[in-house]
Amino acid sequence: MTTTTSDVNDVLVSCESVWKIFGENSAEAMKAVVERGLTKKQILQDYSCVVGVSGVNLEVRRGEIFCIMGLSGSGKSTLIRLLNKLITPSSGKVRVKGRELSSLSAAELRAVRARQIGMVFQSVALLPHRTVLENTAFGLEVQGVPKAERFKIAEAALVKVGLGDWIKRYPDELSGGMQQRVGLARALAADPEIILMDEPFSALDPLIRRQLQDEFRQLTKELGKSAVFITHDLDEAIRLGDRIAIMKDGMIIQVGTAEDIVLNPADDYVAEFVAGISRLHLVKAKSVMTPVALYKVAHPNVDVSRLPITSPDADLDQVIGLAVVNDRDAIAVAEEGVVCGVITLRDLLRGVQGTANEYAPAAGQPLTEVSS
Amino acid sequence: MSIENFPDAFDSTVDTGLEWLSDNGSGLFDAINDVLKGAYESLLWLFNLTPYYVVAVLIALLGWRLAGLRFAIIALIGMLFCAFIGLWPETMGTLALVVVATLLALLVAIPLGVLAGLLPRLDRIIEPALDLVQTMPPYIYLLPAIALLGYGTGTALLATFVVALPPAFCLTSLGIRMTPNEFIELGNASGVTGWQMFLKIRLPFAMPSIMAGINQSLMMAFGMVVIAGIVGSGGLGETIYSAIRTLDIAKSINGAIAIVILTMVLDRLAQGAATAQEGKRL
Repeated sequence: MTTTTSDVNDVLVSCESVWKIFGENSAEAMKAVVERGLTKKQILQDYSCVVGVSGVNLEVRRGEIFCIMGLSGSGKSTLIRLLNKLITPSSGKVRVKGRELSSLSAAELRAVRARQIGMVFQSVALLPHRTVLENTAFGLEVQGVPKAERFKIAEAALVKVGLGDWIKRYPDELSGGMQQRVGLARALAADPEIILMDEPFSALDPLIRRQLQDEFRQLTKELGKSAVFITHDLDEAIRLGDRIAIMKDGMIIQVGTAEDIVLNPADDYVAEFVAGISRLHLVKAKSVMTPVALYKVAHPNVDVSRLPITSPDADLDQVIGLAVVNDRDAIAVAEEGVVCGVITLRDLLRGVQGTANEYAPAAGQPLTEVSS
Repeated sequence: MSIENFPDAFDSTVDTGLEWLSDNGSGLFDAINDVLKGAYESLLWLFNLTPYYVVAVLIALLGWRLAGLRFAIIALIGMLFCAFIGLWPETMGTLALVVVATLLALLVAIPLGVLAGLLPRLDRIIEPALDLVQTMPPYIYLLPAIALLGYGTGTALLATFVVALPPAFCLTSLGIRMTPNEFIELGNASGVTGWQMFLKIRLPFAMPSIMAGINQSLMMAFGMVVIAGIVGSGGLGETIYSAIRTLDIAKSINGAIAIVILTMVLDRLAQGAATAQEGKRL
């Protein structure tokens, strides 16, 4: 995985205490939530309304892939539809590039959807009576781009997803994986900054899925797009996401990088989820290392500068490799030539288990502060 | 009012009602009659102007394009047979009746069906009414028509129009309503206008259903046009009706054969047009 290039201050999409309640009495139910703080269960009983999304706050930054992970019924599909107002929130604010969607006129909203925020669906939704090329050009056609130009752009998008030879075919002549690539090409052809991906790869077989995940990530980074990616598969979220939000019962219960979530699950639910995930490629050296000063106390005779050296962002797999090759039981972690910590075999094994070093710097803190 | 008097009283009420309608609406009904008859007569004039073999060959050529060579040959033989048994003018009369009544019905049914497909509330009003129209025996529609338009082609056309209306309407409305939700979402997410949603997404998905509706309306019209022989529709229906009254069994059977041929030819042509539509994928 390439490291994230997103800018913390450059927020493209944001939700501010967004709620969606479905049902005939949803307005009253929403009022009851605000005034009396009813739970999901009470709302279902008293108002026969279903809470889809409950008090969600999130920020999607420019250039990142933001995964929303949750099981079916967790509200993730509702949430992604709130981001382009396919579903109107019951309360709260959804902003795209700083503009609140509910304040836009119908024409402005159409323009935002057409130019700034594309969408790819689980069902792909390719129009069966149109060729692959015509399907890919659909968004541009809607915007009124002349035929020759939109076909040129669409063909370029299809080449990007590896379907340059298929433009004259019809959707039913394509395999599931290829159809989903057309869906992606269609979203890319309109050149939006943000792409909403609604479980696009869920129906594909595992091999094709992994291939498409890698291609999608590479393409998104190459083109400098931002994406919100919905999935029920934690492995997929970890492979793709710069940051991951975990959803349950309409609420986001944790947001963070894959490493954050695996090392510091917010509650038992998340912990159970991440239990089966391999840490080897997730946990970084800096999270499991022991500060140099502490290491020296326990091992006064070891010369830290003569240990094999690895970088703070190396993953456990690399560190293990280094330890095995050099046949050593300790590895130094160095940044720009300064040793900032040491990983012992104990640290390594705990890392594989998914436990961070209790003395390691917290995420975002400078590494050297600990070593001094 | 005693129960014995009730039938007479009821009859006179209906009579008064119809009288009132024809007195006050005579202008309207004359206009309807003129339009229906005018359309029918000009089409018939065109058919009769063209020699029978030319019409037969044209139908065969159309059949070749829409349904293949085998059908074209059968259609050609069938149409020529109608001419050889001496029923060509009547066959053309029936054809003109069916075409005019069906086209007028489609002209109303399809736009209305589209509207009803888009506005569920309108659909809830019209659909039950048309269900009722379909439930009743088609024969019924000749009665009010004859009271208002009089004996003749106008009545036959009006009754046929009424009978041909429901299938095209219902299947159009159904087709427009049945757009898969994911494509509605696709449209909205792509920023379509309402008009684009209709033209680019709803209509293409509704096309097979609309074509099926057209075919069914055509077949309903055929059934009615033959029944309408008893009100002096002209064409094969009237031929059969008068042949039965004079016990001219041979002629009535000839007329029936001509109707069967014409029905099959038109049905296959309409189906061929529908499949060609789908094969083209719009």
